[in-house]
Amino acid sequence: MLSKLKTNAAVEVLSKVNNLFPSINLAVNIKAMFLVAMGLTSNLAYAKETNSTSGSQNFQLHGFLSQGLIDVDGSDFVNDDGELSAELTEIGLNASYKINNRFRLAGQVVYLDGGNRYAQGARVDYALLDWSAYSDDNWQANIYLGRFKNNHWLYSSSRDIPFARPSIILPQSVYFDGFRDIAVGSDGIASKISYSSDEYGDFDWQISYGTSPISDEQTKNILSEYAQGTAEQDYDSQTSLYWRPAFSSWRFGMSLLEAGFTYDQSAQDFFYDADFVFQFYTLNALYEGELWEFSGEVYQQRFTIDGFYFPGFNLDNVGQGFYLQSRYKLTDKMTLLVRYEDFYLDKDDKDGKELEESTGGQVPYYFGFHKDVTLGLNYDITSNFSARMEYHWVKGAGRLTPVVAPNPQINNSEDWQMWAIQLMYWF
Amino acid sequence: MLLLSILVITPVLALEIVTHPQVIDNNLTKSQLRRIYTMRQVNWSDNSAITVFVLPSQHVLHQRFAKERLQIFPYQLNRIWHKLTYSGLGVAPTTVQSEEELIQAVIKTPGAIGYIDTPSLQKLIAKEKDDKVTLTQVVSQENTVMDSKQKERGKGVVNVVKIKD
Repeated sequence: MLSKLKTNAAVEVLSKVNNLFPSINLAVNIKAMFLVAMGLTSNLAYAKETNSTSGSQNFQLHGFLSQGLIDVDGSDFVNDDGELSAELTEIGLNASYKINNRFRLAGQVVYLDGGNRYAQGARVDYALLDWSAYSDDNWQANIYLGRFKNNHWLYSSSRDIPFARPSIILPQSVYFDGFRDIAVGSDGIASKISYSSDEYGDFDWQISYGTSPISDEQTKNILSEYAQGTAEQDYDSQTSLYWRPAFSSWRFGMSLLEAGFTYDQSAQDFFYDADFVFQFYTLNALYEGELWEFSGEVYQQRFTIDGFYFPGFNLDNVGQGFYLQSRYKLTDKMTLLVRYEDFYLDKDDKDGKELEESTGGQVPYYFGFHKDVTLGLNYDITSNFSARMEYHWVKGAGRLTPVVAPNPQINNSEDWQMWAIQLMYWF
Repeated sequence: MLLLSILVITPVLALEIVTHPQVIDNNLTKSQLRRIYTMRQVNWSDNSAITVFVLPSQHVLHQRFAKERLQIFPYQLNRIWHKLTYSGLGVAPTTVQSEEELIQAVIKTPGAIGYIDTPSLQKLIAKEKDDKVTLTQVVSQENTVMDSKQKERGKGVVNVVKIKD
């Protein structure tokens, strides 16, 4: 009875969400979503009060809504005209259904609008079957089949969940929005093995293998707006290991990624058939104290191109970077954030001079790096309603789209800034 | 009876960990409790599923429970739970809005675990005692019925779990 009630609510909301997405008026969208969500939470509360059987916990519905304002001065990170923008919308709705003690179905739909940062619209964020293959007091082993989220980096699984990530805009070096749709997850198989004990602490080991579909828009965003052919991801294999020593405030992690792509030229194309390989390694650490929090990721990426510009063209490029972040709890509800990140596309050309020379001045030196100093403030209004604001001082255009054929006409300055505010609600 | 005797033996604590009366695990270690609340242990020792209930993260009782009993800051719990809920990896505890709702959820949901502050638990026991008196009065003419009902009620509405170091 209860689950039926909830299922009906879910179906109703999903159909409302589907109807909403094509509509143009953003403000109406957001308002309607808030109303739907509020109605939904009260429905759930009512359902919980009226009945609570053993089956009631098997179906769960959660979601979030957030809307912000963002103003970028000196780059096309969000829009081309540099005006204040409301293209900072993130909406999500997820459901989890426990079939029995071994199997669970889960899925989430998100609607994102980030201007130039990524494609605007709704997408299936994850849709998976979770098989709890083994479980005892210390061990847990799960296999996930379907579309799963990248859970390997510090904030990769929560990058679209406004209240679960540390800032409105994440460090672009690791969480580059231009690569978001490819990096956020895959269709395939993943596993998570966890061990927890008083002697050794908590271990989480994850492996995943799959592919992500690449839209034409993404192909143009990443490669060039003149790319007429189709890009495909052949594979994406990742693994990561996290360890929190017993009763420690620290946690350490590492991750490895290799992904292969092919480009098939079209009959009329500026570019040629190509193979791309992307490798990415990270080390991370996190300290969670009562008032202070520190986190950081250090990483190296290797990108190889075979073909594309002309048959037989070869490129082997190693980029590096890191970010360090600290959060301090000013009060129970207010948290201050400070972060510094430094990234360069080529470890042998940190100031981008070779990049400028090799392109005959077409691509200015500052496209070779990205440095960002961020200051932010988060205020938790209630247990599930927060407000956030932040300011970024950025040096360099190394993390702007399109990647391969940059746009120095709009991005004509080495220094640029942005500020953003965001309201977030979740249930 | 069992419920009352536990209360007499244990020194008065600010809050208690309670489970559904059918949960067989009456003793938990501190680390087991941490594992249950960080969703690293999802089944009781008889392999039945654990259903975890919590109050909203800004609720005073929740904050005390996290810090005193789990020795984890509430914001750390939120992070673990948000990650599970919004990335599809797993299931987080069910949040209820008030202490009354929480205790009702624990009473009604097999496999449930939750927390309650000691005065509320004592009130609940007192109420239970009153109910029994009423019950006794109502059914005093039907002796057999009274006996069986009293036995059933004697188990207590919830288990109070002993937490060992």
